[in-house]
Amino acid sequence: MYLLSVITFLPLLGVLGLFLLPESKAKSVKQTALVVSVLTFLVSLLVLFKFDGGSYAFQVSENHPWITQLGISYHLGIDGISLWLVLLTTFLSVIAVACSMKVDNRVRAFMACLLMLESAMLGSFLSLDLVLFFIFFEMTLLPMWLLINIWGGPNKGHAANKFLIYTFAGSIFMLVGIISLGYLQFKTTGKLTFDIVLIQEQVAQGKLWANALQAEPFIFWAFAIALLVKTPAFPFHTWIPDTYAESPIAGPILSSVMVKMGTYGLLRFCLPLFPDALPHQIPYLVTLAVIGIVYGAILAAIQPDMRRVMAYSSLSHMGFVLLGIFSLTKIGMLGGAFQQLNHGITATILFLLIGYLYQRRGTTLFKDFGGIKAQMPIFATLFLIAMLSSLGLPGTNGFVGEFLALLGGFQAAYANQFSMGLIVVAVFGVVLAAVYMLYMFQRVFYGKITQEENKGLLDLTGTEIALAGILVVFIFWGGLAPNTFMRPMENSINATLKMSTAAPGFRPSWSEEYAVEAKKHSAPTTPRLAMNMRIQP
Amino acid sequence: MNYESIWLVLLFPIVGFLIQAFLGTRIEKMFGRRALGAIAVLPIALSFAVGLMITLSTKGGPEESAKIATFGNWINAANLKIPFEFIVDPLSMTMVLIITGIGALIHLYATGYMSEEKDYARFFTYMNLFIASMLVLVLGANLVLLFVGWEGVGLCSYLLIGFWYKDIANAKAANKAFIVNRIGDWGLTLGLFLIVALLMKTNGMAGDGRFLSYDSMLPALKTGLQQNPGMATAIALLLFVGAAGKSAQFPLYLWLPDAMAGPTPVSALIHAATMVTSGVVLLNRMHIVFEMSPIASAIVCGIGAFTALFAALIAFGQTDIKKVLAYSTVSQLGFMFIACGAGAYWAGMFHVTTHAFFKALLFLGAGAVIHAMGHNQDMRNYGNLRKYLPITFWTMILGTLAICAVGIPGVFGFAGFYSKEAILGGALANTHAQIQGIQVGQIAGWVGLGVAALTSIYMTRLTCLTFLGSEERWRKIPVSHEHDHEDDTHHALDGNHTPKEVSPSMWIPLVVLAILSVGGGFVLANGGAFEKWLYPNELPVLGKISTEPNNIPLALYSTIAAVGGILLGLAFYLKGLPKNQGWNEAEWSPLRRAERDQFGFDRAMTVATVEGGGDIANGLWKWFDVGIVDGIVEGAGKVSGGIGMVLKRWQSGYIRLYALMMLLGFVSFIGYFAFVIKGGH
Amino acid sequence: MNGVPLAAYIGLGMIMFTTGVVGVIIRRNPIVIFMCIELMLNSVNLTFLTFARYQMAARSSDALGMQNSLMAGQMMVIFVMAVAAAEVAVGLGIIMAIYRLRDSVDIDELNLLRG
Repeated sequence: MYLLSVITFLPLLGVLGLFLLPESKAKSVKQTALVVSVLTFLVSLLVLFKFDGGSYAFQVSENHPWITQLGISYHLGIDGISLWLVLLTTFLSVIAVACSMKVDNRVRAFMACLLMLESAMLGSFLSLDLVLFFIFFEMTLLPMWLLINIWGGPNKGHAANKFLIYTFAGSIFMLVGIISLGYLQFKTTGKLTFDIVLIQEQVAQGKLWANALQAEPFIFWAFAIALLVKTPAFPFHTWIPDTYAESPIAGPILSSVMVKMGTYGLLRFCLPLFPDALPHQIPYLVTLAVIGIVYGAILAAIQPDMRRVMAYSSLSHMGFVLLGIFSLTKIGMLGGAFQQLNHGITATILFLLIGYLYQRRGTTLFKDFGGIKAQMPIFATLFLIAMLSSLGLPGTNGFVGEFLALLGGFQAAYANQFSMGLIVVAVFGVVLAAVYMLYMFQRVFYGKITQEENKGLLDLTGTEIALAGILVVFIFWGGLAPNTFMRPMENSINATLKMSTAAPGFRPSWSEEYAVEAKKHSAPTTPRLAMNMRIQP
Repeated sequence: MNYESIWLVLLFPIVGFLIQAFLGTRIEKMFGRRALGAIAVLPIALSFAVGLMITLSTKGGPEESAKIATFGNWINAANLKIPFEFIVDPLSMTMVLIITGIGALIHLYATGYMSEEKDYARFFTYMNLFIASMLVLVLGANLVLLFVGWEGVGLCSYLLIGFWYKDIANAKAANKAFIVNRIGDWGLTLGLFLIVALLMKTNGMAGDGRFLSYDSMLPALKTGLQQNPGMATAIALLLFVGAAGKSAQFPLYLWLPDAMAGPTPVSALIHAATMVTSGVVLLNRMHIVFEMSPIASAIVCGIGAFTALFAALIAFGQTDIKKVLAYSTVSQLGFMFIACGAGAYWAGMFHVTTHAFFKALLFLGAGAVIHAMGHNQDMRNYGNLRKYLPITFWTMILGTLAICAVGIPGVFGFAGFYSKEAILGGALANTHAQIQGIQVGQIAGWVGLGVAALTSIYMTRLTCLTFLGSEERWRKIPVSHEHDHEDDTHHALDGNHTPKEVSPSMWIPLVVLAILSVGGGFVLANGGAFEKWLYPNELPVLGKISTEPNNIPLALYSTIAAVGGILLGLAFYLKGLPKNQGWNEAEWSPLRRAERDQFGFDRAMTVATVEGGGDIANGLWKWFDVGIVDGIVEGAGKVSGGIGMVLKRWQSGYIRLYALMMLLGFVSFIGYFAFVIKGGH
Repeated sequence: MNGVPLAAYIGLGMIMFTTGVVGVIIRRNPIVIFMCIELMLNSVNLTFLTFARYQMAARSSDALGMQNSLMAGQMMVIFVMAVAAAEVAVGLGIIMAIYRLRDSVDIDELNLLRG
């Protein structure tokens, strides 16, 4: 009944639990955090059984009035778009906690930050009320800021503040956008609410924007800027290199989920709520995405630090996601949504491995490495696999997502939505991905060992291999059987596409699907696995 | 055997790969290298056996007998469906037999060649994975599966070129191979997108969504492109970019010579016999598109001819035996593209087949020489090796005769004779490949004839330097450390060194390949057997393709080119290298130096991409990221900091002051409402 | 109202409040400051009660209005007292902690918040 609330707040409860333990018992603090994160993951798996991919409605939802005077409700729900992101969050949180077992400075606070971050991210993926979303969205900033500021690298203070101010400044725009949406909703229906299901109902009927067409692009961009900063998209990306380079390992792992809040927000809010303004903004957004792809890749090739390479590579990869989403084709959006997950998995395994290297050597600069394949063959193999997924080799998950996103973009360009030249350049981004990834691999692993310290490097331990190995399984799972992940998303993506492209009155709305759902669920049903759901033709 | 057993062909190498990857080192420790080598060869041989049985049950041409075996879904996105499906037709089975047959021989050879290397299991892991990927490439029944294999072989090539990773030069060569290939893949991807977008628009929701599967795509393209020749040209050229990348055509040939950094069996298998021919396979698969675009065909012909000539010339400037063979491969690939451009697709595939025989043989022979000479690859260090390596010598002579296309017209010829003649005939007879009336195809045919003569000369040069002449050249060398290995098992070449003939596991493949190089062409060309097997029907658009030009005594010309070239070569090089090509490279003639440096092309491209790209990237970073964006961000921070500096004087830290401020604020607030607002009313 | 005019109650409240404000601003001992704050709170309480009584008398004709306004003032007083008690508990705790840390509670020495 309260499944989603339980998932969201279980990590926060864990934080309370952590503070009941004495600071001195570092080991039991770590174990508690791990148990909490694993428990959250297991509970979140239950959603898979409850979830019905045949419908695009929000499911397993909870809706309670919260601050009624301001029309703010506590409304949680899950659909095909958020389903995998929630699972990704809980799963990667386990990885993030598990790889932080070597932290020895203020362990309790560290683990509390990780769990708080998890809660905040889950909350933002699940909330269906704009204000609630905003609260969770902003709640991610504090633990991340603390993580960088306390446990970060030599330049941590600067990086932490840059991260905080950058993303906070972006989200202020969204707050303005949220308030304006609420106001418009109030003007249209006479009832103040921030519930996106209700707002979208008005949008679908063409009522909400009927008298505010001039304002629509501005409110759209208010949302878009906040979310593009988070994603990050060119030119709002400069926070990410500092953040990745200065935070402890768990930081980039969780922030590789955190950046998905950006693309998720675009799919959830920017597409369905602004259908009239959208077509005119698409060329600009796609241009930003494509510049991001190429620009990120070019800059990644010259960075002196593995973590900075990863930061710019994130910019490039998220460009593919954005391209897919803004292609406004089924194939592209599905590819973009799938690529979000892939990037989460792939970036995590690379960060994890880079983190292992950091634990051993205390540096991630290229000049300190070279030739370590001879010392660490298993490490090199795992790194190679993750790298291949990152550069989109067929057979790995990266290929399917990138391929579909680009194909969708191509389709849109073929239908003259935007210039074909953009796609030609975007596809070239795949070549550039090979350039920076292989260059990184060469400088770290190939050649002779030049540094004396590297001669004693030990290969990965069993636990470390297991942790990275689980992620490798998903690389191939996503690459060879992508339908497992894409099929539950398909109906939600289709609905989102129609919401954002159809004419007023022909747009589907979440609320009408609700009615259908309610009828269906009045009869007792057996739990279904998300994987064998009915297929929509 | 039924076509549905095709999964077995794929299964064996995959299982082999998994065994090598996960158990390889353990098996090596427990049972020794011999066992591990046997486990590596066996799956490929089994695949070959199954492939042969399936082939024997396949009859007729591609259009009729193409059978598709489907094994489940892969990608379903909206109305696009890409299943795991494999095609069994003469084209795919020809390639399967080449890949597994030659592959098994080369694996066998490699068990001997690599026996002194450290990472034995790693080597065969990559090799088995390569065979599996290559099979996916040729067997995949849609373009995306082809692409899977396409990138898979690229990966294996990358891994194997960088096999001796401790030498950073090898790693760089590996990177170059992968990246240049990716540029080709860029074209292929776009071509593939264009096909999907076109078919989705014209066919819409009709059909089963398998837009990229050959059986539904090719007929749809035929009808869809008839009204739209410009689109046909666009698709054809994009696909050709992909083919040119994989098959090392100008200007994307750059990676192939560097790829010789890999172990020699790799060069033989991947960079001569199989992977580099996948571009030709792609053109054969997609020939309908090329048939509909004379311009694209002309460009294919033109690039092929130019590449053939360009690479043949560069081969003269090389002293590394493998580099000579590498440029020879590029040149021969050019021939195959001439054939495809001219519409003689079967001739292209025929040359793929015969080239696989003799080029694999030549590479393996070169490997035997390198092995015997302590991994010294410079031909100037060789001489009179026929005395020490008789089997290698005689098999390589046969291979050389095959690549030189020696034969007596109408009686008998070595393998290359038949395929090269079919290509040149097809090119000279065709009227299809043309741009605005310029018969590019026919020009390419004449260029090809000249390149055939050049081929004979440089191959004779190779033979003379390596096997003939005096052994003084290497007897004089004190000590040399040409190839730097991780373990010192290799004897450096010096005056006391006595080259030894290689072990049976290495010369048996040589002998088998020599037999194929001698008789393969004769058997396959007998009565046009190969053409009838591969293309039993006329081409759907171009109709009947003639490979016998009127009014040109081609057989006479090509025989003159082949034999004359050999005689010229003997005249030049029998006594060793002339002084202007010898040890002192400063004395080389400008032409030789230009050839050695690939006419400056490689250097220019490196400067333009690697160095120029690096500068641009650095500039962008400093200018935009650090300068503008961060400038704005930090600037905003500084401005607010400045304001804060002014305001902070008010923050004395004394509570009483704060309380007083609060009081004053409160009083003025209340006062405002009480007196000003109220007073206003 | 038993003859004591409304102005007397309000006047007393004003005097108490002003005393509290002045005390808060000029005294240096936090305990005394606390007492002054209590004084201000109590003056507010007194005002609440006064107005509650005064309103009840004024509106006694309107039964419903009386019901509504009857206890509002008194209720606020209880609230204020509860908050004041909590505040004292927290405040004294803080003062104790500061004393342990610095051996002095002179607020003129506590200016860590200076910008």
